Amino acid sequence: MPQYMLLLYGDPSNWARLSPEEMQKATEKYMAWTKKPFTKDSHRLGEDAGRVIRRAKDGQKRTTDGPYSETKEVLGGYYTIEAASYDDAVKLALEHPQLDYGGTIEVRHVWGT
Amino acid sequence: MSEPTESNVLLEHLFRRQAGRMVAYFTRLFGPAHLELAEETVQDAMLRALQTWPYQGVPENAEAWLFRVARNMAIDAIRRNRFLVGDAMLAGMARSEEGEPGDPLVEEQLRDDELRMIFMCCHPEISRDASIALSLKTASGFGVREIARAFLADEATIAQRLVRAKRQIRERGLTLEIPHGEELKQRLDSVLEVIYFVFNEGYTAHEGQDLIRQDLCAEALRLGRLVASSSIATPKAHALVALMALQAARLPARVDEAGDLVLLESQDRNRWDRELIGLGFHHLELSMAGDEVSEYHAQAGIAATHARAGDAESIDWPLILEFYDRLLAINPSPVVALNRAVALAKVRGADQALAEIENLAREPKLRDYYLLLAVRGHLLLELGCRDEAARNFNAALELPCSEPERRFLRRKLEACGEG
Repeated sequence: MPQYMLLLYGDPSNWARLSPEEMQKATEKYMAWTKKPFTKDSHRLGEDAGRVIRRAKDGQKRTTDGPYSETKEVLGGYYTIEAASYDDAVKLALEHPQLDYGGTIEVRHVWGT
Repeated sequence: MSEPTESNVLLEHLFRRQAGRMVAYFTRLFGPAHLELAEETVQDAMLRALQTWPYQGVPENAEAWLFRVARNMAIDAIRRNRFLVGDAMLAGMARSEEGEPGDPLVEEQLRDDELRMIFMCCHPEISRDASIALSLKTASGFGVREIARAFLADEATIAQRLVRAKRQIRERGLTLEIPHGEELKQRLDSVLEVIYFVFNEGYTAHEGQDLIRQDLCAEALRLGRLVASSSIATPKAHALVALMALQAARLPARVDEAGDLVLLESQDRNRWDRELIGLGFHHLELSMAGDEVSEYHAQAGIAATHARAGDAESIDWPLILEFYDRLLAINPSPVVALNRAVALAKVRGADQALAEIENLAREPKLRDYYLLLAVRGHLLLELGCRDEAARNFNAALELPCSEPERRFLRRKLEACGEG
């Protein structure tokens, strides 16, 4: 079955507003999602702004801070799910708790699957 | 969507319970002036759990994991803020490596930390409304939004109270010390009052679905038991726990399937919580030591008399009336007098009780109280004065009361038209 990547973006400061009870509920919802039968893989990414490596105009490879300086939304994690079609993958992603906590999800087909 | 499997569900209220314990623990290590740092540390540890548990699984000893992570974060935070908090704190942290939750010694220390925390939150130097909000936030792990919902207040108001409470702790240099002698007695009274207030707030009739209010009752009972199981417990503290347990035992029977209020007499006694009744009687017995008869003793006596009766017919109303007389002597409030009138009706008849209520109706405090009209309507109906009863129920419906109470009054109103 084709695989799709769900790229989870969110504003980390949203979490700081949750009470312990709400945080527990959120943890349970995310836990439930990592255990769904169609979830093949899931990972969380570090929230500190990483470093971006690119070749500068002078041809040298440079690393810069970022890429999040301009935006509050951070790529916080990704899931690999199985779905019959892109539309089905989107339908599944619509149920993801990320959307309940002010985040966004980008759905991408993994080629060759 | 399928139901989440068991493994997706953590121990109920795990985060909230641990938040209270951890904040108390770190406040001891950091000092009360750094309460906020303790709260942030705990918040960060829970956030880390949220970020890792779904992907790496829940650690075997989740509590110990939270403590360990919080501890490491605290050390980082102190290093970052060294100029603010001083090296002494870092040294204190280093000394605090003392095992993990679950270890009996650590558990004892944590109970002590929690007890000290609740004593500080309820310090008479902090205004009462701020004390209540602070206790729920720090000792009980509720969020601002949850506290606001429970008290039907807006979040900004609660947030302001918390800011005020923390400022008062800093400015007045309040400590986590538990005092001795006469001061202990006063401070303990203050703690018990806050706990009782929280309990009543949760217990007051409300919509059945509003779980947050039930949580208040459970939390007040937990804090009460924390005090009652400590070395500073007094008979009065036991009386408070007894009364809360015995009243909370009736909660499951107080609302029927339709969410309608069921009066105590008509409640299905099989739905009363046996475990809580057992707990209540246990503490009632412990409350009998000494000669003090507090308001809590009288209230617990009333609740125990109800709990002892096998059915509505065998309720010992004369004894209940006696407890109300005592209660009224300790706390001569019109609301207590109104409750006493209900017992009086059972013992000496509705007409005597009505005469009492006519006196109470002149109290400014009760003028706009729906319950006075509801009780009067009830007694009038008993005496067969249907029209007058209906007038009282109608007037009660004009006054502020909760939706289940409203439905109850409408049912009574219908009864006036029957027969």
